[in-house]
Amino acid sequence: MATALLVRVNYVDATHEYVGHNADYITMDLTNDYLIWSKLLADLMTHEPTSDELNAAAEIIDPAVNVIVAKCLLMDYSHNVGGSYYTHLVKGMSENEKYVFCFSFDGPTATEPQLEAWDSSAHTTYVKNVLGAGYPANSMLKGICTTISLPGDGWPGIALAGGSNVILLNNGSGALTVAKDLYANLKIVIPAAYVTPAAETFVKTIRYTYF
Amino acid sequence: MNKPLFQIVFENGEVFNGGDYQNTKWLEIPTDKKIRSLFYLLPTGDYLGLGGYERFYHFIECTEDLNGDKAGLKNLEFAYIIGQKKEYTTIYQIDLKNGCINLKNIKNDEKFVTKLNPDGWR
Repeated sequence: MATALLVRVNYVDATHEYVGHNADYITMDLTNDYLIWSKLLADLMTHEPTSDELNAAAEIIDPAVNVIVAKCLLMDYSHNVGGSYYTHLVKGMSENEKYVFCFSFDGPTATEPQLEAWDSSAHTTYVKNVLGAGYPANSMLKGICTTISLPGDGWPGIALAGGSNVILLNNGSGALTVAKDLYANLKIVIPAAYVTPAAETFVKTIRYTYF
Repeated sequence: MNKPLFQIVFENGEVFNGGDYQNTKWLEIPTDKKIRSLFYLLPTGDYLGLGGYERFYHFIECTEDLNGDKAGLKNLEFAYIIGQKKEYTTIYQIDLKNGCINLKNIKNDEKFVTKLNPDGWR
């Protein structure tokens, strides 16, 4: 059968990999769950956040310094982990942590899996502000492969946008010959005095191959 | 009746039928038999026929969105059918959304070839 992908987020301890610490991770139901980047949105909310709540909790552009969006939360539609909670803080996001976002492949691939970001599910454009407004190098979404090693303090990452500015999830080592868990860390960095305030959605996608 | 995704004819005349996009059966092709020709199903329903290669490779490229209106769906993007001779590799990239086929010949030592999972050659 075709190799399948499961996406997991660490909500307990970002020094723990998935193997041996399954309970530290929530496996995303990609149809219903989603990630929220926010400054103030609360962990462990007992309802799905509303647009009003999301806007009230949004990060604010700083006139003088770049701002890293403080939190990434998983919106867990099934709200059945550790109680009846809809939001779970993703541990280690933007920090010098290795085991934050986990991409589990249950079999081999022909080429190396990669993480991409696009305006929409059409995967054709990257003109939204968060993705650099047409200039991939200016994308505010930064990512780094942490499958092999820690990203380092203040890691710059790769500006993610389109089909060229991507993260190779096996650290550039190529295809998967067996089932494997791959890891990445992500963050959103809003440039100082950015001129266009916005609350935007963008699509993160994994491109992979199978036999 | 659904057509197999591909049909392999070995040098000894035996035939191996592939499956479908979800279960292609590529890795089930015996490795101890030399392939004489390969017929690969196109979105039109016709078969692309390849022969005269020393070995073949095949894979499906897909995307899976983490959010948005197609989140969680396996979107089939391209099928690759690849034939290799002594110095050159021929790549047929079949766009599974519009049926277009891109053909490219590259040297065997180019990164695209050398980075492929070696387990997929037949």
